[in-house]
Amino acid sequence: MQTVRITVNGTLFEEAVPPRMLLVDFLRDRLALTGTHVGCTHEGVCGACTIHLDGEAVKSCMLLAVQADGHAVTTVEGLSQHGELSVLQRSFREHHGLQCGYCTPGILMNMSDFLARHPNPSDEEIRHGLIGNLCRCTGYVHIVKAVREAAKTLATGAV
Amino acid sequence: MESDRARDVADGRGAQRGGQMFPAHIDEYLRPATIAEALAANARYEEGEAMFIAGGQSLMQAIKSRMARPRCLIDLQAIESLKGFDFSDGVRIGAMTRYVEIAAEERLRGACAALRDAAGHVGDRQVRNRGTIGGSCCWNYVASCTPAVVLGLGGTLHLVATDGTRRALPAEEFLIGPLETARRGDEILDAVSFAASAGRGGSAYRKWGLVKDALPVVGVCVRVQLDAGGRCSSARIALSGLAAGAQLAPAGAALLVGSGGEAAAIARAMDAVAASVETQSDKWASSDYRQQLIRTLGAEVAATAFARAAA
Repeated sequence: MQTVRITVNGTLFEEAVPPRMLLVDFLRDRLALTGTHVGCTHEGVCGACTIHLDGEAVKSCMLLAVQADGHAVTTVEGLSQHGELSVLQRSFREHHGLQCGYCTPGILMNMSDFLARHPNPSDEEIRHGLIGNLCRCTGYVHIVKAVREAAKTLATGAV
Repeated sequence: MESDRARDVADGRGAQRGGQMFPAHIDEYLRPATIAEALAANARYEEGEAMFIAGGQSLMQAIKSRMARPRCLIDLQAIESLKGFDFSDGVRIGAMTRYVEIAAEERLRGACAALRDAAGHVGDRQVRNRGTIGGSCCWNYVASCTPAVVLGLGGTLHLVATDGTRRALPAEEFLIGPLETARRGDEILDAVSFAASAGRGGSAYRKWGLVKDALPVVGVCVRVQLDAGGRCSSARIALSGLAAGAQLAPAGAALLVGSGGEAAAIARAMDAVAASVETQSDKWASSDYRQQLIRTLGAEVAATAFARAAA
């Protein structure tokens, strides 16, 4: 066991973990933050477990919890502020950017990081940014629209 | 020797899950602050028992599938000297420099522009936020883009051993074959460098895969050097996606020398490249299709490399 100190959604957690524990399992099983989903688990290709590590979108199944020691993690539970959904979350609801919802947390985490770095993206850029997130339901059309509309809303200064 | 099952229970979750956790048991995780500390930690284990982990975007897959079962993981994330760029003499890139940083580095132009072409299309955003140039070179996965580009650009790999000995190996000596490099068990990769060259250099890389940014079915890297008259004085061509791993195609590169990047000269060179390498048939593409990809992609890439050198 090894003690880690990881700040998750603004709260510092100190936990003893076996070195082999994946970060996604730490979030889900230790902290009961089950919004971070496990899709493919082995290949690291589905993106459902995407979180922010120090503000950057990464796959939490491709990291050990011990690697996140001393870092700040944001999960999908950390996107809403004061009980209000973020602009991106609202946009997904308004534009039907999800169907079964399994991939949605990972997409929200990836795209919130993406929009912070690409505030005025083209559809092509959005699609390129989404390569690491598999969605079996939507065909991506409404996802791209939701991201595009969220970018427009954010550009007006709305929160 | 404890059984896997006993270790699963000891690690706290095997019993509830009724099965093994994905990674096998790991005794120790270390995060040294310097290369010397990392090498000293590695030296405390038998060869192969400790592994260095960079971005982990390949190694974690191997660890989760238990293809790799390290007793100790030595995480390089805190070693600042392994990160970033030095443009004071040619280009030196620290082994822990990530794809996202390489793709965004505007000083990588001309002879080194192919690095950005490749880094911007490795995997996906999440992978590029973690994956590193050094990790990719040391893993040397059969279909990776990075080793082929480092090879095509004539890069040098700088190694440090536990006793302080330094070695600098050209990429063609470092990259032995798929999942195999010349790095010894007591060495760490410090940096990858690209020598400054006289005249005007240009390079480019492009791959083709079944979906965008997928591992290449075929990828081509071309680097050319132009003399004052705009003629090619030297050229290198490297391929990715083939069963033998990253490889040079010197016969084709030789045909670019002396040309000014005319379409006919490039076509002849790429015909020679395709004819000189073994292209496998697999579920993604036939050998003939790969031959055609080499010619078509190669022509585009070579034209881009010439244009960048002339710019």
